[in-house]
Amino acid sequence: MKTFRRVALYAGLTIAAITFIYPFLWMASATFKPPIEVGSLSLIPNHITFDNYRTMWARAPFGRALLNSAFVATTITLAVLLFGSMTAYAMARLSFRGRPVLNAATIAVLLVPGQLTLIPLYTLIVQLGWIDTYAALIVPYLFNATAILMLRQFFLQIPQSLIDSARMDGMGELRILFTIFWPLSKPVLSIVAIFTFMGSWNEVLWPLLVVRDQHLMTLPQLLTVFALGGGAGTIGVSLASAMVLVVPVVIAYAFLQRNFIESMAGAGIKG
Amino acid sequence: MRAEERSGSLLTAPYAAFLLIFAVYPIAFALALVFMQWDLVTTPSFAGFDNVRLLANDGRFWRAVANTFVFLSIHVPLQIASALALALALNRRLVLRGFWRASFFLPVVISGAVVAILWSHLYATDVGLINRLLARIGLNPVPWLTDPATAMPAIAVMVTWKNVGFYVIIYLAGLQYIPRSCQEAIEIEGASAWQRFRYLTLPSLLPQTLLVVTLSTINGFQLFIEPYVMTGGGPLRRTYSVVLYLYTNAFAYQKMGYAATIGVALALIIGTVVLIQRRTIGRTEAL
Amino acid sequence: MPSVTFEHVSKRFGEVTVVEDFDLQVADGELLVLVGGSGSGKSTILRMLAGLETVTTGKIWIDDRDVTPLPPRDRDVAMVFQDYGLYPHMTVRENLSLGLRLRKVPRDEIERRVTWAAGMLRLEPLLERRPKQLSGGQRQRVAMGRAMVREPLVFLFDEPLSNLDAGLRAQMRIEIGGLQRRLGTTTVYVTHDQVEAMTLGDRIVVLADGKIQQIGRPIELYLAPVNRFVAGFIGTPSMNFVDGRLQTDDGALAFMTEGARVKLPGKLLPSENESASVTLGIRPEDLNVDFAANGTPNSDDALLGKIVLVERLGGTSHIHFEVGPHRLMASVSADSLPDVGDTITIQVPAERVHLFGSDGRALS
Repeated sequence: MKTFRRVALYAGLTIAAITFIYPFLWMASATFKPPIEVGSLSLIPNHITFDNYRTMWARAPFGRALLNSAFVATTITLAVLLFGSMTAYAMARLSFRGRPVLNAATIAVLLVPGQLTLIPLYTLIVQLGWIDTYAALIVPYLFNATAILMLRQFFLQIPQSLIDSARMDGMGELRILFTIFWPLSKPVLSIVAIFTFMGSWNEVLWPLLVVRDQHLMTLPQLLTVFALGGGAGTIGVSLASAMVLVVPVVIAYAFLQRNFIESMAGAGIKG
Repeated sequence: MRAEERSGSLLTAPYAAFLLIFAVYPIAFALALVFMQWDLVTTPSFAGFDNVRLLANDGRFWRAVANTFVFLSIHVPLQIASALALALALNRRLVLRGFWRASFFLPVVISGAVVAILWSHLYATDVGLINRLLARIGLNPVPWLTDPATAMPAIAVMVTWKNVGFYVIIYLAGLQYIPRSCQEAIEIEGASAWQRFRYLTLPSLLPQTLLVVTLSTINGFQLFIEPYVMTGGGPLRRTYSVVLYLYTNAFAYQKMGYAATIGVALALIIGTVVLIQRRTIGRTEAL
Repeated sequence: MPSVTFEHVSKRFGEVTVVEDFDLQVADGELLVLVGGSGSGKSTILRMLAGLETVTTGKIWIDDRDVTPLPPRDRDVAMVFQDYGLYPHMTVRENLSLGLRLRKVPRDEIERRVTWAAGMLRLEPLLERRPKQLSGGQRQRVAMGRAMVREPLVFLFDEPLSNLDAGLRAQMRIEIGGLQRRLGTTTVYVTHDQVEAMTLGDRIVVLADGKIQQIGRPIELYLAPVNRFVAGFIGTPSMNFVDGRLQTDDGALAFMTEGARVKLPGKLLPSENESASVTLGIRPEDLNVDFAANGTPNSDDALLGKIVLVERLGGTSHIHFEVGPHRLMASVSADSLPDVGDTITIQVPAERVHLFGSDGRALS
């Protein structure tokens, strides 16, 4: 009886795993199939073709979009790590008059749904003349409340003695932060890095609002516009464009899945 | 300490400035916009409670809210059941446990836009994979995204599929906290597997279940890319989401005041629903 | 009719043998204590009896049923866990009654039993509270009540007092002992604390490395330990051990070690090796200490010791002293005690001496 249970369990898990993986496998194989074959269930195309990719690449600036996404996501991640840890360090280990207010404000910010501030932020960007600029994509994301809270939580646990001896050696605050706190904070820094990067990489609503010029669009944005605007023509082509967005993530995920899970699940719970 | 005060203020000044510009100001301005009419080109004009009145009578808005409730009524129970089932399955010594967990979590890391595009092909009435599978077992094809009755449920299933891995992790964490001695005690006391689940596991997971309900509710109200990509809000506006409506008012109609009003209303609705949920479900836990 | 029988039970995890050939009968109504250090296998044996662990070889019988293949729920046993295992989301009353509710016992019967157990354990005012609102001792009693209410064939206790502070532990020990005598249910009790074992057990099983070292009544283990491990484990403070050799000295048997010589009754048996190495054991409370020390020992079984530490505990005191390279301890009850550095005379009563061979087993 026990073995029957085990077999049933593994069978169930396999079916479940297939439902989660198969659609992506199908998507990948569909991009290599000619239009007639696309509907087929099989994962191996009868005729392998790269036409879908060629068409997609020719019809819209996907290479540029890839670079845009990489640039925006990387800049934001670095900024969040840098500025976030500076802020979190001050909020955790330094006492200054505005601290409780800042704490409360950070938590309050997390409680407000993004849709409330969406329009005013948009009008602000318009008024600053930042439509169709990288500034519009990057500046509103330079500080991340979730990241600051997480980093602050972690920094609170670092022993005071380390700071005290560093101060006695004459180190300034920034020195302390980057030479002492950072090396000790590798796990939480990587968690923050991953969810910040992924959040930016997959973000689509904001770019749709503030960027119109195709050459400045981020990858998910261009992909959406392309798929909806009829530029794709066939399923194969639109899926090919999706692949450009997905493949880097899947590769990273394959190697770092534990970090991804720890990061994105943890951030979601805090949020 | 003078120096500490100075460093602290200095280090956090950029953040404070950021909060003022990108958090405090937008919230305040959003509330102000509710009472204004603005198309971004001409100067904004005061409109009193016009926007609010319009919203109260706006069929499209309330249709969108109703759609969201339809979505939630399918998505939330389905999410709880599937995440819980998978978490229970994973919560034991398994071969390749890391692999199973990774496969369930995979859709979580993939962009919502990609998932929406992928599934709109899966749901396609004629060439879609799902209908082809149904045909293989002899069933008729279903017009998933074009039939008003099935469109929102179809999206609900898709969103459940995308997010289940995330909630599996939450439930798995909760399962670790059930003390081993409680599990052994209830076994010795004579509980069958089902009784163990009902009297120990499920009640112990109440905080996690509340979290699943809250997060997936908020997620449901913020639905945008899915209807945008898959159905454009149709058929018969049955998949029109609130955020989609907000976006259309801002981007297409250039009605900033009205769009902001929708935003504020949405925030209030989300806040109220989550509060009610906390009170009803959360109350059972505190007892 | 014996209530619990272990028939050559052993437990292996892969290559590691955790319990080896545990063979024992527990009498009906007996409180049997399994005592040993960590890794001795005592908890594993209890858990095999509960059904929480499978048996690698051997059988377990409760009354005349072979329970070895049965899951815990079919064995009619009840267990009290070290961390109590109370259901955190239920009230005390619900915790007590769950087992009965699961078995569809009629409501008035449940009510009767819960009231009875709550009365015996003074839980009445706590019935509507939740575990997190209770103190350690109270939770402990709820755990016991939960076991009692089921009126099982066997009570199992897995180090139930380990999480309590010393004062509470002493108090609960008495309560558990009294309760078990009143109820008369066969009980298997696991602990690492030999004081608990000695005070509670009708019989004690001393375990080390998965093997039975000795089974017996507390006084038997105290007076006649069969090996060095049991001798050192039972009794507080623990026995003094000195390594040395046996020698025949013009017809008389003596224990020889550096700096000391103790005369022993009896003779060296021909089967035993002269000058084989042995260990002498003597309990601190068995040593006779004479504070007036003369320069030379005045009899053959008296030793001169130099005090290195005096621990005054009130009624009793421990005197740590050195004889040659050996350091020993004596327990005395006296009002005035000598000081560190003083010399004392110690008499070793030969009839209280324990001898252990190089394999650890006691010699006669």
